[in-house]
Amino acid sequence: MKEKTEQSFVLELFEGMRKDNLSYIYRGDFCQSITDAILSLTEANMEKAGESSKIKKRVFTIMVEGLQNITRHQEIDEKVNTNNEKSIFFLQEIDDRYYITTGNPILKSNIKLLTEQLNTINSLDKDKLKEYYKTVLKDNIISDKGGAGLGLIEMARKSGNKLVFDFIDLSDNYSYFYLNTEIAQLNLDPNSKKSVVSSLENIKELHRILNQEEVVLIFNGLFNQDSLLNLLSIMEGQMEDSNLSLKKKVFNIMVEMLQNIVKHASRTINEKDNPGIFFINQSENKYVLNSGNYILKTEVDNLKSKIDYINSLSLDELNKFYEKSLFNFQVDTSKESGLGLIELRLKTGRKLNYNIADFNDIFSFFALKIVIDQ
Amino acid sequence: MENLILNETEDTPHVVLDIDNNEYAIEGRSLPEDAMSFYSPIINWLKEFKTIDASSMVFNFKLDYFNTASAKQVSKLMLTLQDISEKKDVKIKWHFFIEDTDIRASGARYMKLIKTDIELVPYYDD
Repeated sequence: MKEKTEQSFVLELFEGMRKDNLSYIYRGDFCQSITDAILSLTEANMEKAGESSKIKKRVFTIMVEGLQNITRHQEIDEKVNTNNEKSIFFLQEIDDRYYITTGNPILKSNIKLLTEQLNTINSLDKDKLKEYYKTVLKDNIISDKGGAGLGLIEMARKSGNKLVFDFIDLSDNYSYFYLNTEIAQLNLDPNSKKSVVSSLENIKELHRILNQEEVVLIFNGLFNQDSLLNLLSIMEGQMEDSNLSLKKKVFNIMVEMLQNIVKHASRTINEKDNPGIFFINQSENKYVLNSGNYILKTEVDNLKSKIDYINSLSLDELNKFYEKSLFNFQVDTSKESGLGLIELRLKTGRKLNYNIADFNDIFSFFALKIVIDQ
Repeated sequence: MENLILNETEDTPHVVLDIDNNEYAIEGRSLPEDAMSFYSPIINWLKEFKTIDASSMVFNFKLDYFNTASAKQVSKLMLTLQDISEKKDVKIKWHFFIEDTDIRASGARYMKLIKTDIELVPYYDD
């Protein structure tokens, strides 16, 4: 019964993000290699989506500033370093609008100045903002962290929108700082219906769930080799301090699961819809990798019997089956080696935990959950 | 017959098939989406090598990581080497980082399944 609830979390999460043309979330420590990978992931995805260079540049600039805000200012209270204090980055594209949201802990003593800066920025129109930028630059009031609100001004200028922000109490000395920016498309009718999904209130609610589920990474976008490589770099950065064996297992299983989606997932009704979702939870030294994607109903029986057969074998038998499949060139195409699912069970030593749910007359939703521990 | 040299990419290994220097190696990580089209030219090259007048070959595998799609193609490559070993002196060296039990196990598996001289060679610097 419990399994059922967990699996439906995948579908629920996916359903919640289904309308997003692109969305990903990273929650944890940010280092240079992670922010670089997040930036290239965005670049590659916007490139493939045929985004205009103007929008690409705006999104990119705001992301750079937002990510730098996190890496410069993520102030972790060593004493109360809880799960809820992890920094977070959200990128969403919904109804032709991009939303970038960052969250990180800050010292409460900084709230006053930050609020003043943000209120000033939000009170200025486009031209005044430009002037203000020049003044701040000239005054050269550089704080010891290398900012001075220039990053925030730049974000406001590039987005052409107000900066939405909020502070949440964490402890005696720390608060959590949210900053949310919207980048509208150039020719978008200003009266067109705005999605409410990405309001800061909804993002805070999603963040609460992500903290609770200890989600490290969510990806819902173009599933291709470029995305795969960038997601791998993000996880390599995230796992920098983990031991080699755990790192390799996570790496290995990520590749198999993501390539499964790339090669086998069906696109549904709408070409713009993404074929699936991938996310990772982490607690202590345990990683849980989840994938969810649509498959054609006509493929369900075949997939089911394949997995059930793999699950029915002892590890010894499974090893033999792997060896047999390794040299079975009856199954050998650019899409299929017949080894991926066997490998997932062999590498983890656990049965494959999966769920297939009805979606509509043509498609089902296939969720797979792989637990990796030391 | 021409040498076949492929530079390493983010998802494919460095390949050296060099008759002039008598050097044959695949090194790095291998996780292409379409492993078949990456390995086909390598396997075809080896099939041609079988027919030329060269007496011996030491083939070095030094892989950090490979996906299942690549594993299948490596099997095919191994079978080709086994085939060559019927006519020529072929030795396969399977290098693995000393702490990397996965790569070692993969080598041991091929050792069991391929009727060609395979040696497992540990290395110590990451």
